[in-house]
Amino acid sequence: MNSDLNKKLKKWPAWAAMLVIAVAFLAIGSTRSTGPQTPEDRVDQITQRIACPVCDGESVFESQNNTSRSIRNQVESLVRANELSDEEIVSFVDSRFDAELLLVPRASGLEALVWALPAVGFVLGMTGLVFAFRRWRTEADGLADPTDEDRSLVDAALAADVDNDAGEGSGR
Amino acid sequence: MIAASLNEALGRGGLLLMLASSVIGALAIVVGIWQKDRRLLKQAPRYAWLAAAGSVLAAIMMQRALITRDYSIAYVQQVGSDDTPALYNFAAMWSALEGSILLWGMTLAGFTAAVAWRFRKRSNDELVGWALMVMFVVTAFFAVLSFGPADAFQAGAPVPADFNGPGPNPLLQNHILVIFHPPILYLGYVGFTVPFAFAIAALITGRLGEGWLMETRRWALFSWAFLSIGILLGGWWSYEVLGWSGVWAWDPVENASLLPWLTATAYIHSVLVQERRGMLRVWNLSLLVATFSLTILGTFLTRSGVINSVHAFGDGPVGSWLLGGFIVVTLISLGLIAWRGDRLRSPGTIDSPLSREGAFLANNVLFTVFAFIVLLGTVFPLLVEALQDRRTVVGAPYFDRLTMPIGIVMLFLMAVAPVLPWRKASQELLTTRLFWPAWGGVAALVFSVLVGADGWAPLVAFGLGGFAGAAALRQIVIATRRQGWRGFVGRANGGMVVHLGVIMIAVALAASNSFTHSANLEVKVGDVVEWGGHTFELESVTVELNDAESEQALKGNVLLDGEQVYSPAITTYLNQGITVGTPSVRSGFAKDVYLTLEPGAEPGGESAVIRVFVKPMILWLWIGGLIMAIGTLLAAFPGTKRRKPTDAVSAPIKVDEDQLVGVADAPGDTGEQ
Repeated sequence: MNSDLNKKLKKWPAWAAMLVIAVAFLAIGSTRSTGPQTPEDRVDQITQRIACPVCDGESVFESQNNTSRSIRNQVESLVRANELSDEEIVSFVDSRFDAELLLVPRASGLEALVWALPAVGFVLGMTGLVFAFRRWRTEADGLADPTDEDRSLVDAALAADVDNDAGEGSGR
Repeated sequence: MIAASLNEALGRGGLLLMLASSVIGALAIVVGIWQKDRRLLKQAPRYAWLAAAGSVLAAIMMQRALITRDYSIAYVQQVGSDDTPALYNFAAMWSALEGSILLWGMTLAGFTAAVAWRFRKRSNDELVGWALMVMFVVTAFFAVLSFGPADAFQAGAPVPADFNGPGPNPLLQNHILVIFHPPILYLGYVGFTVPFAFAIAALITGRLGEGWLMETRRWALFSWAFLSIGILLGGWWSYEVLGWSGVWAWDPVENASLLPWLTATAYIHSVLVQERRGMLRVWNLSLLVATFSLTILGTFLTRSGVINSVHAFGDGPVGSWLLGGFIVVTLISLGLIAWRGDRLRSPGTIDSPLSREGAFLANNVLFTVFAFIVLLGTVFPLLVEALQDRRTVVGAPYFDRLTMPIGIVMLFLMAVAPVLPWRKASQELLTTRLFWPAWGGVAALVFSVLVGADGWAPLVAFGLGGFAGAAALRQIVIATRRQGWRGFVGRANGGMVVHLGVIMIAVALAASNSFTHSANLEVKVGDVVEWGGHTFELESVTVELNDAESEQALKGNVLLDGEQVYSPAITTYLNQGITVGTPSVRSGFAKDVYLTLEPGAEPGGESAVIRVFVKPMILWLWIGGLIMAIGTLLAAFPGTKRRKPTDAVSAPIKVDEDQLVGVADAPGDTGEQ
């Protein structure tokens, strides 16, 4: 009884309802306005994209030294002034230091490789998988249906077995 | 060589014993196998005990040197101090390059001894012999490193009698996790030498069936678990110490630990395809080789000074040794795989992409691409510097952007794969089995939207997390219904418990990365500041000196939500003149409130600036890690009977009716058979 109900529940209308609910809630959640972004959150986002000029491998957001603190304060005042876009603030800070401070590499020049190669890797991986499955399918197809020749071989073997008068269970 | 102290003399003696026994052990095995001399092969384990004893002696002497503050040794001059508390003085051994190589060597010699003991009754077996030989060679390599380029017992420059060293880096004497994180991580790194050694042994002997896989299954599993826990403990340390409230910064050293973890995770999945179907032999060997050589490459990248990182210590000749080691390991392994190419071909085919094996393959492509992205991002600055002689940085936003979609697809796979049978799945079977897990996903999505989460990426992650979690629970429920407590153990069921832990971590990362808010607040005595749904009030600014008068902590004592006082501090290490922020955190199941003190506060002052982070779900990272560890133990526990590795792949396995998992659940399900 219970399992009957379970089976009935799992028909397509329930799946369709599930899909509708999922899409609806995803749409609501990803489009609703939760108020303007706070200046603090903007500061966090911007400083996460800038490398600390004097330390190794840390962003301005992470770093605890005075240079980073002063950059954070500067970004905060730029954000509060609300005149520049995030991009402009990042470029402005970057232009003030000799070192390369952009933690998100550009998509041009040699840096384009750092974006392109993962995509190439992914495509190669998936293509390899597709080819592997295709090859396996052809191999499996080759094995699939017994040919007439196979059948006659089996018949011959079975006939021989009968001749030997082997009892049930003697063959494997 | 005249030693300046007993510590130096005995320490070096220990290292020499380790080196000599490893070399002689390796030679004994090669000659023993060559000349079929059983006596020589039987002796091999003894060399393993000797090497382990030597490495332990060296470590004890280093500890003794640190405890007695033996400043005649350069390493103690560098990381020792009269003022370091005993616990951190103990951990000082691995707080810089030479000592951490010593720890690595000791762990490795320990693993070699463990392998020798585990297989002591099979010393005549060539497979075991060659595996032990590989372990000896790697041990010898690290002993050589400890002797030459990373000499932990090198005599230091003469110092005055009242010399007091600086002690370890202040960040490494600030939190108890410093004691546990490196050794556990090393157990993971080094542990993978064992399956690697058996892989090489299988290639050399040509016994490329599934035997060696079964022998090393638990070694690989435990190493993977140690690596996972070590990485998580590193994240926890970062969270508790570094003051930016994050657990992962995509720092090169962090990436170096993630790389072998990624290939190892791919391996422990794809190895199941080989055990079950005898396929993917080359691929599994390559993943093991990659895991082992990536640990060496990672050590090279971060210990040679070629890449700057917050963790990297110093530069020196050790870099070229490690790079050489990496190249040799890779070339020999690839050469052996090429040599054995004909024996590695397997006759099987994978029938359908919509099958357990198909899911494992997709998992492997994803993990490999993930590892490739991490490796590329980590070494890219080197590439740019080499080609165009300019400096560039690749940071967290790059890695976040590229790995987020992979993480999402992985969650989807974790949802679907557990219900897929081997060979082939029908659509009917999928709609039946995925029904309730999918509702689990929808429920998680609806719940997330109702509690206020927004943005498509985190919502998709939460939905898929619910889906994957429900799929794992479904498997556990079915298995326990049929098998009682045994439904929790064995690879498949324990693996599902591990999945639950991983899903918790993934969801917690998605939540904390997407919904963290921070602000700098000026707090005053007698004045309540409200921000982010919490109230903050400064009680006092105090200054404390530790007993040894080496650390001075400036504390801002802040009353949080009118309930309890939290005291973020800025600690000055007076010997080094270095200041380190010490955060103070209120943890909770829903969110953490993380406070740090900004500079500028005066002792006894009436105001201070604090930085506040409100971070959701951080606690679930650590709970997820604990569940992963428990799941691994359950997975290592012997499950139901399986095909003997020596049998043909097509041989039937004896399975009791009641041990079949999920047989009656749907048509076409073949359960464990």
